[in-house]
Parts: sequence; structure tokens; C-alpha cells
Amino acid sequence: MVIVVAVLVVGGLIWLLQRNRHAGRGLGPPPAGAVTNPGLPSATYDGEPVAASRRPLGRIEVRGLTKEYSGVAVVDDVCFTAEPGRVTGFLGPNGAGKTTTLRMLLGLVAPSAGVAEIGGFRYARIEEPICLVGAVLEASGADEGRTGRDHLRVLCQAAGLPRSRADEVLTAVGLARVGRRRVRAYSLGMRQRLGLAAALLGDPQVLILDEPGNGLDPAGIRWIRTFLRSLAATGRTVLVSSHQLGEIEQMADDLVVIAAGRVVAAGPLASVVGGHAGLEEAFLELTAGTEGIR
Amino acid sequence: MTKVATRLVAAEILKIRTTRAWWLFIGGFTAASVLAAVFNSGSNDNLLHPTLSDYPAGASRDAALAQAALARTAAGAVSRATSIMTSGQFLLVAITLMVGVHIATTEYGSGTMTSTFLVEPRRPRVVVAKVIVSALFGVAFWAIATALDAVATPLFLAAEHLPASAFGSPVVVRATAMGLLAFVLWALFGLGIGAVLRNQVVAVVVAIAIYAGGFLAVELIIHLLYDAFGASWLLSLAVLAPVQASNVMITAGKAFPDAPPWWVGGLVLAGYGVALAAVGATSISRSDVA
Repeated sequence: MVIVVAVLVVGGLIWLLQRNRHAGRGLGPPPAGAVTNPGLPSATYDGEPVAASRRPLGRIEVRGLTKEYSGVAVVDDVCFTAEPGRVTGFLGPNGAGKTTTLRMLLGLVAPSAGVAEIGGFRYARIEEPICLVGAVLEASGADEGRTGRDHLRVLCQAAGLPRSRADEVLTAVGLARVGRRRVRAYSLGMRQRLGLAAALLGDPQVLILDEPGNGLDPAGIRWIRTFLRSLAATGRTVLVSSHQLGEIEQMADDLVVIAAGRVVAAGPLASVVGGHAGLEEAFLELTAGTEGIR
Repeated sequence: MTKVATRLVAAEILKIRTTRAWWLFIGGFTAASVLAAVFNSGSNDNLLHPTLSDYPAGASRDAALAQAALARTAAGAVSRATSIMTSGQFLLVAITLMVGVHIATTEYGSGTMTSTFLVEPRRPRVVVAKVIVSALFGVAFWAIATALDAVATPLFLAAEHLPASAFGSPVVVRATAMGLLAFVLWALFGLGIGAVLRNQVVAVVVAIAIYAGGFLAVELIIHLLYDAFGASWLLSLAVLAPVQASNVMITAGKAFPDAPPWWVGGLVLAGYGVALAAVGATSISRSDVA
């Protein structure tokens, strides 16, 4: 009898837990009253400029970086740098190894060989890393059942930042009005902004973004372009991966192009585009023959 | 380091408090504790006042009456008090086990592990914070259950005209203290299983299977060995099943005829928790977060 009751109650608890976890994962319409256009905040970055003496801390340097999965190299001897005060575009076809490279740079994936350093240190060796490096990987990366504001407050708590930073960055990315909604009610664009808000918590000198324009509407795309440009203008390092070549052409100072895990071109935008009609032609020619990898 | 530990622990607590899991666990546990205390008081009342019409006249009615008389003695009163002070412990400990699993696995399910490791790339520190928070939940749940039972027990003794002194007897105090150990160790056991398995659903199922049925498998193997070799010390190995270890630890006398001393049970249970957490921590520290 006791065991039956125990099993029923524990089983019910598990069911509730799972239901709670999966609720909102579907593609149903957003809840009534969900704010779809939170309004764009000022596009310029109004944080303090980075002093010239501190800028070397923001230099990204990747040397011989390699990642093998069961003997196959998905990132193969990649070398590049990204400099403070410049926006570096990180381009490559799907499956070229962009995300894996960025994850190795951030200490989330262990390299098979090579080094990835920011300001001369591996990410895991940096004290208070989010105060030096802000990263946006997949959209938001937040728990669906937590509010956007609480997601940021948890990160503030873990990093030892005042929790009021959460409200400041929500305002900076234009999410102040929806901060107290659970993330499951957010559109893809709002999730991208929440991810960016998390990256800005520590007012970092280095921003690393993996396809931040995904899911943003044209106004949002322009906003993020202007925003990243203004970050670079204050002496910050911006490394951004993207498939939106037109965007990158307008935003980037330097480019790193990888295909099939290898760097096929790197340098100032103009030198990579070279004699081609534009970035798109240059990109397609540089990466020709590597399609169909994934 | 202590400053870092404090803020990581606070962050882990905030993670739970900012989702519905908080109300589910705290509310569910409190409700289960209340129900357990009420039902357990009821069944102890039945023991003292057997419904005679339920028993056919003769041997079984005499046995029920003898049991009721025994329950009225001073030793019987202490047993009643012990029973109510540990009301529903089997079920309540299972909820604590689930909290441990939740703390270990939920960030893998929801994808927040990435941002957690971006803030604190020294992963062992994150694991230590989770260990501390799991243990804190064990203590908190024990405190909730014990506070409710500490209200129910004197009320029961007074209502049944049993000596109030039974409440403070060393047997009752020991059982309550061992309950604390059980709550903490099972929370850590859940954390360990979660850390090793990572998938929340799989970890919940495995944890429940081990908790509810694992001792049967151990019992079966031990009896097969005993039939083959006939050494009676083999029977005491039943303590290797986590639930039996817990029983051995919390039972004042012998949990089963060949049971080893109580602390062996505690060591076995703690050993599982530590071993699982160590394996889990190592694999969490080394594996890629995709």
C-alpha cells in the first residue's frame, strides 16, 4: 500500500516535471499579448571606450587549432587573429567548423591540438571571464521556463556582478518591456537580443558572436550592425560569424574565411574581396568544391 | 575561493528559485509531508484501537488486542513517537533524490550549461556548488518534514494519553538525526546519478528503479551466492543495495537478521554518492559542451 502510494506520487511528480519542461516547446502561436516588436533602443554603444593601454588584452589569437572527432578533423590547423577596435567577420559554409572554432576559443570544447587565446590567455585561465569576453552562441541559451530578466540575474549572481546589471543590459538591447516574461514566449529575434544582453553583462572588451542576425527582422539586423560597429569604435574586439554576406560586407574590417575546417582566406575585407565583383563572388569562389560536407 | 563558492552556490539556488521547479519541489514536498504525518498518525491510531469487527473472534483478534496493549507500554509509546517523527520517510527521501537529479541534469536539458561554463569555466567549481546545494536541499527538506512531525508527535501522544516523555527519548532523537543523514546522502546520490547520466528522463527513471527495486536485484544475487557457498556473511552484503544501506543506517536495531552495524549502511550510501559524484564531475569537466 505504502509503496503504491509512493510510486504514484513520485510518478506524478516526474510527469509534472516533464510536462513543465516540454510545455511551450511546440510551434503554437505566441500567447496573447506577447510583445512582438519591443522597439529598438539607441543603436550606439554608450559604454566607456577601452583605454589604449588595455587594448592588447582584447586581442584574439588562434594558432594551429585542430579538433578531431573519431579521427576526422572538423577544424584543421586554423590560425587567425582578431584585433581590438575592428570587426572581424568569420565566414564559412555550413559545417565548415565555425561554431566548433568559436566553442574552442571559449573553452567549451577541448581542442585536439593548437591554442586559442584571448589577450594571451586561454579562456579557462581568465579571471572573471565575462568581464573580458562576451559571447553569443545559440539564440539566448536560456531556460524556457525562466524569465529573460531572471536568466540574466542568475548569470550576474554567478559572476559576482550586481543584479541591477540585468535591467541595464535588457534596456541596452531593447528587451526592457518583456524582461519579466518567460523565455518560451520570446520570438527568435527576442532570443537573439537576450543572448546579446547576456554577453554585455560584464561590459567586455571582446565580443564573440555566432550568427547573431539569425531571426532578426531588417530593422533588427541594421540595429545589430550599427551596435557592433559602435562597440568596435570604442576599441573593442568584435568577432562575428555570419552567412549574411551583405551584412558582413557593410560591417567588417577584416575577414577570416574557412572551408572544410581550414582557413582559405584571411585579412582586411578589401584584400579578401580582391579582384572579385563583391564579397559574395569572392566567398563562393574561395569555398568552391567544399559543399556537401554536411 | 570562498567568495567564488558563495556566489556560485547562490547562483545555483537562484536557478531553482526562478523556475516552476521551486514551487513544485517545495510545495510538493510540504504537501507530501503533511499527508504523511496525517496518514501515519491515523495508522498508529488504528494500531492502538484496532477495529475489532475487522478481526474474526479467536487467535487473530487476540493478536490485534495484544499488539494494541503492547503499543500502550512505555516502549510502545516510544515506537509510536519514532514512527510519527519519521512519517513517510521512504517517499519524502525519494523526492529529495529527485531534487539531486534535477540539479545535475536540468542545465543540460535546457541548454544553460553553456552560459554557466562561460561565467565559470573552471568546471569543478560549478560541480562543487551543485554538491553543496544538493546537500542544502537535503537539510531543508529534512527540516520541513521534522518541523511538521514535531508538531504532530506531541499532539498524537496527548490525544492518545500516552506519556509525553516518549517524544524526547534517545531512540526518537537518534531516528530523527539519522533521517537528516538519509536526506542529505540521498540528495547527493541523486546528484551523482544525474551527473553520470546527464539526461534528465533517463536519470529519473534509473534513480527511481534503484530506489524502489534495486534491493530486489541485490537480494536475488546474494541469495544465489548464498545457495552456492552457504557462508552466512554473504547475507549481510544485502547492505550493498542503497535502500538497504539506508535502512541499516536509520534502523535502531537490526534492519534484517544479518545486518551489519548502522554506520556500515551510512558508509555504503555515502560511498555511492561520493563515487557517482566523482565520476560525474570528471566526465562533466572533460566533455565538450555542444
